[in-house]
Amino acid sequence: MTTQEKQPPETFVRFSPLQRLLHVAVMIGFTGLAITGFSLKFSDQWWAGGFAWLVGGAGHLAYLHRFFAVITYGCVLVHILWLFYFKLVLKGSITGPQSLFPKVQDIKDMFQHMGYFFGKRRIPRFNRFTYWEKFDYLALFLGMNTMGLTGLFLWFPEFFSTLLPGYFINLAQVLHLYEAILAVALKFVVHILTTHLRPEIFPVDKSIFNGKTTREKMMHEHPGELDSL
Amino acid sequence: MNAFMVKSKKWLPEQKSFGRSLLFCLMLFAALPSPRSLEAAITPDGQPGWFVDMGLFAASAHGTFSCEQCHGDMKQGQTMHPDSENPTFLKAYANREYDYRRCQSCHRPSYEQYLEGAHAKALLKEQTDSAVGSNTLPESKKAPTCGSCHSGHYARAHLSRVEIGREMVSVCGKCHPAQTATYLDNYHGKAAVNLGDKNAAFCTDCHGAHHSVSLKDKKTALAACQRCHPDATEGFTQVVIHPTIKDLPENDTQKRAHVALIRVVTVLMSILVILVVGFFYGHSFVWLLRELHEKLRKHK
Repeated sequence: MTTQEKQPPETFVRFSPLQRLLHVAVMIGFTGLAITGFSLKFSDQWWAGGFAWLVGGAGHLAYLHRFFAVITYGCVLVHILWLFYFKLVLKGSITGPQSLFPKVQDIKDMFQHMGYFFGKRRIPRFNRFTYWEKFDYLALFLGMNTMGLTGLFLWFPEFFSTLLPGYFINLAQVLHLYEAILAVALKFVVHILTTHLRPEIFPVDKSIFNGKTTREKMMHEHPGELDSL
Repeated sequence: MNAFMVKSKKWLPEQKSFGRSLLFCLMLFAALPSPRSLEAAITPDGQPGWFVDMGLFAASAHGTFSCEQCHGDMKQGQTMHPDSENPTFLKAYANREYDYRRCQSCHRPSYEQYLEGAHAKALLKEQTDSAVGSNTLPESKKAPTCGSCHSGHYARAHLSRVEIGREMVSVCGKCHPAQTATYLDNYHGKAAVNLGDKNAAFCTDCHGAHHSVSLKDKKTALAACQRCHPDATEGFTQVVIHPTIKDLPENDTQKRAHVALIRVVTVLMSILVILVVGFFYGHSFVWLLRELHEKLRKHK
């Protein structure tokens, strides 16, 4: 290890500056949404009521929630625009083996990885994105679109009730709540656990912030991608 | 990796004192008085009795009145003191014995609105039913008169809109518990009652204070919605505010269907959340154990 440290380790770019920026913006937006949203949902609890009081009541809570929603959904729109740019201008592949597109291989990888948990099988040779990273991404991407849509229903109920029956506002409310619980339960526990608490990467996997990863880490975590380079 | 072991030793003593202060903070929070509950807001008159707490009465809106101003003069021979020899003495409900027609001498508009409203209609039906002799309703199900909602002896004056509103939600909830529960689960209830937002709607902002209308009629409902939502159309009145089938007439199949659909979607979403979260929590936990196992084995 000492001999290796003397040479500058070979680095690979894992995330572009735009992706890193969007990650930070979504982090802020998502956390803000979770705090302001659950402060309303659980407003009969002292901590939620206390937070609402701190920001200046229900009106400000609603304003902040929509402010963070605009930030977060703005990131989704920028990301979608980037996907078009990546596909049409950079001629990149958004469905290839090194993309985030879900494949049958991911299911196989998951079972093999779970076999590894119980010491039965080896760690699969992951490509650029592992199955849990793909799930993280796709759950957030789909979730943000549905949260955005149901959120718009709750933001402008007068308008949407002219297009659709009134009970759609109620259904939007149910979906918005349960998806919020799902998202928070996954992001604040599973995502923190896989990117911070695992002994392999404790205390933090910095590549989403500085965009870099080393050859050693690539060999370990994404050998499939390394082979393809 | 290695850094983890070294670091952890470094901050161990600090962590201990941090833990102690955290525990202290937690105990402080536990010792704090719990926030106001709805029960605490119920007037002392929640249980109607024959005896008056004069301290509370003196602090109430009617506190400067003499008893005779409302209860009349015994000498006039119009009002009789209850017969103390009667076996029902002090056993009847005080609220039922009082003649609330006397309230209109000061509260005329409210009294007239009450007479036009749904509560007065229920009272009229009850009286005709009892004339036939079929009135077997328990006390809590009887049609309300003034004293059922307002405490003549203890209701305080100069309360803020939110204070009145919170009290109102619990008073209405005595007879309409399903409606109160669904209201409190709705945005209106959370903003108004829980967060004390004076711009949010309490019961009477939609149903009217003394008219007490059910809002089953679309036109009445639309007028109620438009008081706060000027852009509301008839479709807006079909947003379900009280998703409960309690007290809903059998023939209101449309709302029953909507409530059922909302419940089905709620159950399906709960199942989805439990399955997905359960799977990934288990997945992450076992993964963590495996990596810890490998780490510790390498250190041996």
